[in-house]
Amino acid sequence: MSPNTSGALPGRQSPRRHFTFEKQLLPWAFLTPLLAVVVGIVGYPVVRTIWLSFHDGEYLQNGPFIGLQNYRDIFANPYYTAALLRTTVFAAAVVATTILLSLAIALVLDAAPRAAKVLSVIVLLPWAMPRVASGIVWKWMFDDQYGVVNWLLVHWFGLESFNGYSWFRTGTPAMVAITVAVVWHSVPFVAVSLFAGLRGTHGEVVEAARVDGANAWQILRRIRLPMIRPLLVVMTTISTIWAYQSFDHFLVMTTPPGGPNHSTEVLSLLTWLEAFAQLDQGTAAAMAVVLFLMLSAVSVLYVRLNREDVR
Amino acid sequence: MTSLLRRGALWLLVGVILLSSLFPFFWMLVTSIKPDNELFTRTPRFIVTSPTVERYTHLLDGNIPTQFRNSLIVAVATTVLTGLVALLAGYAMARYRLRTRHILTVVILVTQLLPQTILVIPLFTLFRNAGMLNTYQGLTLSHLALTLGLCTFMLRSFIVDIPFELEEAAQVDGASRLRAVRSIVFPLAWPGLAASSVYAFITSWNELMFSATYMQRPEIETLPVALQQYFSSYYTDWGGVMAASVIFTIPVVIFFLLVQKRLMQGMASGAMKG
Repeated sequence: MSPNTSGALPGRQSPRRHFTFEKQLLPWAFLTPLLAVVVGIVGYPVVRTIWLSFHDGEYLQNGPFIGLQNYRDIFANPYYTAALLRTTVFAAAVVATTILLSLAIALVLDAAPRAAKVLSVIVLLPWAMPRVASGIVWKWMFDDQYGVVNWLLVHWFGLESFNGYSWFRTGTPAMVAITVAVVWHSVPFVAVSLFAGLRGTHGEVVEAARVDGANAWQILRRIRLPMIRPLLVVMTTISTIWAYQSFDHFLVMTTPPGGPNHSTEVLSLLTWLEAFAQLDQGTAAAMAVVLFLMLSAVSVLYVRLNREDVR
Repeated sequence: MTSLLRRGALWLLVGVILLSSLFPFFWMLVTSIKPDNELFTRTPRFIVTSPTVERYTHLLDGNIPTQFRNSLIVAVATTVLTGLVALLAGYAMARYRLRTRHILTVVILVTQLLPQTILVIPLFTLFRNAGMLNTYQGLTLSHLALTLGLCTFMLRSFIVDIPFELEEAAQVDGASRLRAVRSIVFPLAWPGLAASSVYAFITSWNELMFSATYMQRPEIETLPVALQQYFSSYYTDWGGVMAASVIFTIPVVIFFLLVQKRLMQGMASGAMKG
């Protein structure tokens, strides 16, 4: 059983050559459960949603084929186009803030190697917090009368105008508050991943550059950041996909969902409400397909970006 | 002098990071045990002078224990099934040069970027027709769609790192391949399994959209749904919702802390291959 004996034995290929069952059938037997889930729970719904998007679907009933009418409807719907634009701005803000903060945190962890182990556990902790719970806590912290955020802004930063400021009465400040909550939730995973990537960049190249008199900033900009660039691209992709799909924080933090007056409606929320509050599955399916196409385009774009880096 | 200054700045930054990571947890806990007269103050009180557990005892008399159990059943089922399915598939992808493996990789990657909204409607109809609305089975199945992609990749990369010679040695000693897989590869893949379990458990425990759509009866509701509904109707009862949030948060945090070491390894190896 010990690994050392295997190399010494002659004909180490033989156990594999005998059984075609083990070569041909075993991998597929092992893959079957995964394939069943992928086909049944993912593949079928995707195809079905695309099919539904070309059909009338009021009251969650399958209606007649209506071609692109659902797509025309949603792009003629001012709430939908507003949500599309709002989600894009929101995603851009979340991704930019997440990547910058995560990089900063990863660099701090990297600069304190002895404490990094414990620190990275604490940094990752918010990722584990249920989004519903964190949405509620952040809403409480942004409370107009008793919230810590307003108190901090007034008493520490001297911004008197935030005295009793109501964050959720209009759209823009509500979006700012939700952005803060979502960023708090998405930074941990990205920061710890980037930290793991940065740790792999302490090598001979960095040592050589240091000997040649490069300072820490030059080493970071010219050597270490380019080395983790593929990872940065992956993290940007992941956080873009997450941000575009944001749902929980919006459902929890706004009353009524997407309110006040539709001013915080984002794509996922609008799609879900369209399907399960308005009961119009055709329109909702069209919205879902458009979001899927957008996310695919974003992913392809990032993959391209990554490939050009390598070249 | 400059190095001292630099150290000071570094520790200041570390302090800021720790504070912003932990403060919401602290604030949730503190709010849940403050009596109302300490809760609603213009100047926030960071120290509780007369803590109360009344809200917890009140909650525990209500529906929360049932909802907690529902959440636990679904999350544990999702975690176990994810581990099993991803381990088998990860092994097949790590050890065999399948001609279809590129297609397989792309398919799994695509499942990872699918918006939940593209799955939610057909699964609703499917579950309704199969009588699986308001059942643990339905919700668990839908959660598998969210966890399997990443976990299969994680386990594949762990199994790739297990030397194939170990398996061969066992087979030379007369074990069948299946036996070699079961008694050698799977035990060694355990750190990967731990990492993917945290991911699966947290994903399932925290998931809201599918849960809110497929679990609509109060006796079968899971915690995220119950908490969201309670909050939207009684959002001025801040102490109560905070206590419920604490109950909701504790299991994931405990599970996370138990297995965090493996999770970090998993993320580090993922980052290297990035």
